[in-house]
Amino acid sequence: MNAAEDRRTKLLQLAAGAVFLAVVVVVALIVVNASSGGDGGDTNLEGASEISQGLRGIPQQEMLLGSPDAPVELIEFGDLQCPVCAGYAEEVLPPIIESHVKGGHVKIEFRNFTIIGPQSTAAGAAALAAGVQGRGWNFVELFYRNQGGENSGYADDAFLEAVAKGAGVEDLAQWNQDRAKLAAKVEETSAEAQKLGLDGTPSFAIRGPNTNGLEVIGTPGSTSALEEAIEEAS
Amino acid sequence: MSYPSEWTLRRAIAFFAALGVGVATYIAIAEASGEAPACLAGGSGCRTVAESSYSHVAGVNIAVFGIVGYVLLLASAFFANDAARFGGFAVALGGFGYSIFLTYIELFKIEAICQWCVASAVLMTILFFLNATRLIGYGGTNGALPSRA
Repeated sequence: MNAAEDRRTKLLQLAAGAVFLAVVVVVALIVVNASSGGDGGDTNLEGASEISQGLRGIPQQEMLLGSPDAPVELIEFGDLQCPVCAGYAEEVLPPIIESHVKGGHVKIEFRNFTIIGPQSTAAGAAALAAGVQGRGWNFVELFYRNQGGENSGYADDAFLEAVAKGAGVEDLAQWNQDRAKLAAKVEETSAEAQKLGLDGTPSFAIRGPNTNGLEVIGTPGSTSALEEAIEEAS
Repeated sequence: MSYPSEWTLRRAIAFFAALGVGVATYIAIAEASGEAPACLAGGSGCRTVAESSYSHVAGVNIAVFGIVGYVLLLASAFFANDAARFGGFAVALGGFGYSIFLTYIELFKIEAICQWCVASAVLMTILFFLNATRLIGYGGTNGALPSRA
């Protein structure tokens, strides 16, 4: 074998080694990611995949769900421990999200209004921290779906972390750091709700081309009542 | 087996690498200006992908790594020696492998598709096959087809 052929053989052997290494690295990356948080398939919480599917493709920025350019803004003041809010999340809001939010006409922002107890503040801050990583609504909906009794102590750190994982929060260390700082923001929006004269959860406010700034609409009893409010604001 | 001339392969590599520089630069600029890359057929896939935690590695937007990779591939097309052939192949292999991983992430983790990322993945796939052909066809030679015993 001459020197040129020898060099060529070595080069191709090196290339084959590089291909083998690349295959190993890519497979390892995929396997590691498949077994981590993501779509929430690794937690025992109910509904993680279904919620992830329902919110799929909708932009999320902090606690805002929907296109930031949507003309109508619906603001929900809720308490994560509130069972009526959980009912709203399961029954009333999904059709609005499916048609108006996915259609780019409405955006919904979740703001904490803590009225039930101290665990509501911790839970609210955890939701805001999930929002920092674009998973705020996944967190809120998954929390509601797995809600326990009011102030019964279920919403401890382990539960909140399980919800965060199930919601698809990727960087749990960052989420932990953020939620410690965000309790003040929960208090801030709760004070804002009181200032708006709200006295229960969930309460809604709406802003659109046909409203005079932010208008309080209280607690519409059904999806159609909310749709009416959206139509009037449009 | 016959291969296209190395000159033809180098020109094709330069062409697709230049396109890749354009695509990656657009994604990086859109991200730096706080906007998601515009999806050509509407939709919000690009925003969802851009806002996911996978869009950055060690705090750096992955589009920046893309620009570096495409520039290296473009540079490799200007030289007809083994360092450029193997270097181009190695960079394209890394880019191709990472594109497979990112496509998996888009489909199964983020559950959103960004057309610009798909465009980059397609370009990187083409560049991988071009660079592999160049290395297999002309590695260890002075640019002429290697003689077969």
